[in-house]
Amino acid sequence: MNIPLAHASSAPRDHWLLGIAGLRLLIHRRSLLAGIGLCLALAASLGWLLIAGTHDLTLWQALRAATGDGNPLQVLLVRELRLPRLVAGLLSGAALGAAGCLLQTLARNRLATPGVIGIDDGATAFAVASIVAVPTSLAPTALALSGASTAAVLAFALAAGGGARGYRFIVVGIAIGVLFGALTNLMLARADIDAANAAYPWTVGSLNARPAQAVWLLGIGLALGLPAAKLLVRPLAVMRFSDNVAIGLGVDLPRIRLLTLALTVWLTALAVAVVGPVGLIALVAPEMARYLCRQHGVPVVNSALSGALLMVLADWVGRTVLAPVEIPVGIIMAIVGGPYLLWILLRQPSRTLT
Amino acid sequence: MTAARLPLPTVLLSAGLLLSVLCLASLLLGAGDVGIGPSLAALFGGGDDDARFVVFELRGLRTELAVLVGVALGAGGLLLQAATRNPLAEPGLLGVSAGASFAVVVAISLGASAGTLSLAVAVLGAMVGCVLVLLVTQLRGVGDDPVRLVLAGAAFTGLLTALSSLLLLQDQRTADEVRFWVIGALAGRSPDTVSWSLPGLILGLLVVLPLVRPLAALTLGERVASGLGHHPQLTRLATLLAVALLVGTATAAAGPIGFVGLVVPFLARRLVGSDVRRGLGVAILLGPCVVLAADILSRLLVRPYELPVGVVTAFVGAPILIAVVRSHRLPSL
Amino acid sequence: MSQRRSLLRYSLLAISLLFSTLLHAAERTLEGAYGPVTLEGAPQRVVALGDNALDAALSLEVQPVGTLASRGGDDVPEYLAAKAGDIALVGTVREPNLEAILMLQPDLIIASTELPRALYDKLSLIAPTVVPEGSSFQDWRRIYRTYAQALGKPDLADRRIAEIDARVAELRQRLPDGQQVSVVRWNPQGPFVMSSQLFVGQLLDALGLKPNELATQTKRPHTDILSLENLAKADADWIFLATLNPDGEKALEAARQQPAFTRLGAVKNDRVVSVDGQIWSSSSGYLAAQQVLDDVEQALLD
Repeated sequence: MNIPLAHASSAPRDHWLLGIAGLRLLIHRRSLLAGIGLCLALAASLGWLLIAGTHDLTLWQALRAATGDGNPLQVLLVRELRLPRLVAGLLSGAALGAAGCLLQTLARNRLATPGVIGIDDGATAFAVASIVAVPTSLAPTALALSGASTAAVLAFALAAGGGARGYRFIVVGIAIGVLFGALTNLMLARADIDAANAAYPWTVGSLNARPAQAVWLLGIGLALGLPAAKLLVRPLAVMRFSDNVAIGLGVDLPRIRLLTLALTVWLTALAVAVVGPVGLIALVAPEMARYLCRQHGVPVVNSALSGALLMVLADWVGRTVLAPVEIPVGIIMAIVGGPYLLWILLRQPSRTLT
Repeated sequence: MTAARLPLPTVLLSAGLLLSVLCLASLLLGAGDVGIGPSLAALFGGGDDDARFVVFELRGLRTELAVLVGVALGAGGLLLQAATRNPLAEPGLLGVSAGASFAVVVAISLGASAGTLSLAVAVLGAMVGCVLVLLVTQLRGVGDDPVRLVLAGAAFTGLLTALSSLLLLQDQRTADEVRFWVIGALAGRSPDTVSWSLPGLILGLLVVLPLVRPLAALTLGERVASGLGHHPQLTRLATLLAVALLVGTATAAAGPIGFVGLVVPFLARRLVGSDVRRGLGVAILLGPCVVLAADILSRLLVRPYELPVGVVTAFVGAPILIAVVRSHRLPSL
Repeated sequence: MSQRRSLLRYSLLAISLLFSTLLHAAERTLEGAYGPVTLEGAPQRVVALGDNALDAALSLEVQPVGTLASRGGDDVPEYLAAKAGDIALVGTVREPNLEAILMLQPDLIIASTELPRALYDKLSLIAPTVVPEGSSFQDWRRIYRTYAQALGKPDLADRRIAEIDARVAELRQRLPDGQQVSVVRWNPQGPFVMSSQLFVGQLLDALGLKPNELATQTKRPHTDILSLENLAKADADWIFLATLNPDGEKALEAARQQPAFTRLGAVKNDRVVSVDGQIWSSSSGYLAAQQVLDDVEQALLD
């Protein structure tokens, strides 16, 4: 494809102005490069994760096995164990990364991620309830969705007055997270040990043999959610400055806020239903994307890519460190992401996102 | 905010009265079959052997423990808030309790049995947590930002929780022993818990005594405090040592019981204003009230079984946390 | 060239047809928790997920190639360790390692009744996976027989069960009449009573020992943690204190620290027996049954 670099001189610094058949597109140079780089890194780690594990394959064997060719054992290994796990990690990481980026932008605070303000805990509490407390086992995905919405609505309603921004919102979110966490603890403490074991993946976050339907739902949700997020990027980018500027530029603030929040809840809940609360992905991924882009925009797509990369890598670490015992991915992310969260908190002199 | 809302003697008197009522209630109410009537009879020397045992040994012990833990956490919370000048500072939220319980988990997985936990381990863990809090408050821009400190505490707690999970993952046997322990509870502690944790409490309070005046000065600002001849840094350091002693003792005695250190200073401020000297007296009386009330609830809510008291305080404390943050502007200390 | 190849193909076809008809005789279909499972021949490489599955395999003279670390331990359950020998660990009950299981190339996987559906779906792709129907409340013999059918040893299983039944009947004659027993798990926060409908409860019932009232009431494998005020409800003529601690005496010692515990009738009469919690609160099967009967015989008759 031949893309003419038209009017290169009229494009702002660090941007490319692409003109295709009269359509003009301004592209942030570093964002594009970062996206391409992330895609390459993802492809490389996917290849690596397909061949490495309890039993190492060659790349050729892995690729052949992925297409259903070759040694049946390897086909089973690649197509039924490694690929689904990778896909689950990829999708949930992408969903959490994008959700984190959206909520951070909405709250104008880089610490406001779904995990920090209790959305994960809400989804977890409801999902655990479906396993240990409620006799009929309702689908955890549906319950995770309702739990996440409940937590998000509570956080926003209770933080009202302070607006959906600033630290007040976050502390209210933490308190809601604590409430749902206590609820989960309570259910687990009263549940018998077998049910507690069945609920275990939802309490720490794990990618081991996740239910296929939940992964499918997540895939569909992400396919709908990511383009929607991309559409919200422009009004959100304007909203980063101040409400007045945004209104002046014709942004329908309440609508955009509601849509963004709904999208965040949607993506988070679907991901939590698959992988459990690995909330720190939503904090670290957008940070990584922003660092790579060197741009204070709303890097939703790059955040999703970073999230996917982080999730599959963390899962790989968890599978190999103590093999054959697997460390759930949530624990790995907490150990890696916790210090990172502290570092952000302590290093950043100002309160603002930008 | 500096003006007292109510006269101090009135508040102290009514808090003392409330405390005695709750102590009595704690002796009379329980998850078992010994109801109020038989309990009262036992209390006045009558009743059968079983009733006397339940009232004096079981409920008596946990009432003593609740008072001890309540004093430690209430005073610890107030001191931590004064030292960090942060109304959201709570030993649980800032990771001090997490430090203590992580140390305990490490000790158990290294071979100590949960029944014979040493106080020193928990105090040491709490100490590490306190030192971290201190370091954080020294950072420019963070120390005077109440909410960011809480977030740092939450992050620290999350990290320690993950490390505990990792330890437990390798050692399932410990996991079973710890599963019931990581949620605080007053029941089932061995009878000598009170006797070995009392020195920790007394020591902690003794460290506090000479600190009250410098702390009060510190709330006026570092310059004023220095001008009055106090050493702000030294005061902070000594206060945090006291907090570590108090919180470590409480955690070793009953496990992590969150939010008491938040709720009690919040109530104390509402009642007598933000003066440390006045507040400390009220906190020492109100701390046990909050813990006792939570413990009584924990016995009655799911009779004939019991809830861990840490769960009850979380359900009560989280809304209070929201209330503090929602209050129009954060009261500065 | 092509002729020779087609000849080879035909002869291969003929041989495989012959084999499949031969094996067809040994083909059997089991009703599993997640649907029917069809098996052929005697399995050679068995992976046993869970203590009761491992117990069944070992007691039926099958040496599994892989198993999970026991719940409440980080190795094969102690009472099976000697018989299991050098067996590969393929994860924990919470997180079975699917790749490790696949690499063992099993031809049969037998798992506990609690195996989640998502794991079953994956395991079934690796090898026929048998998850017995029902729960741990079921007659343990039914679950044991299901494993035996999967392993192709139904006759041996019948003999094993008959052995247990005979020993139970014999022991019942010698046990004192009308004794009440209670099976308690001791935790630092307090104790809970194991349901009388579980494996151990079934055995005790067959021995003519009466369960504790609390144990018959609970609808779940065990009660909530008892309030110490209600500890008297866990009392009985005999208390079997199940503990996951390697040193049972230690747990008993911890329990004795609690005054509410020392007030129990069984404690006063020195009729508290500490037993292996891996058998008494989580496993089931022939070997576990023998151990339970040993414990009861030793406690009540010596």
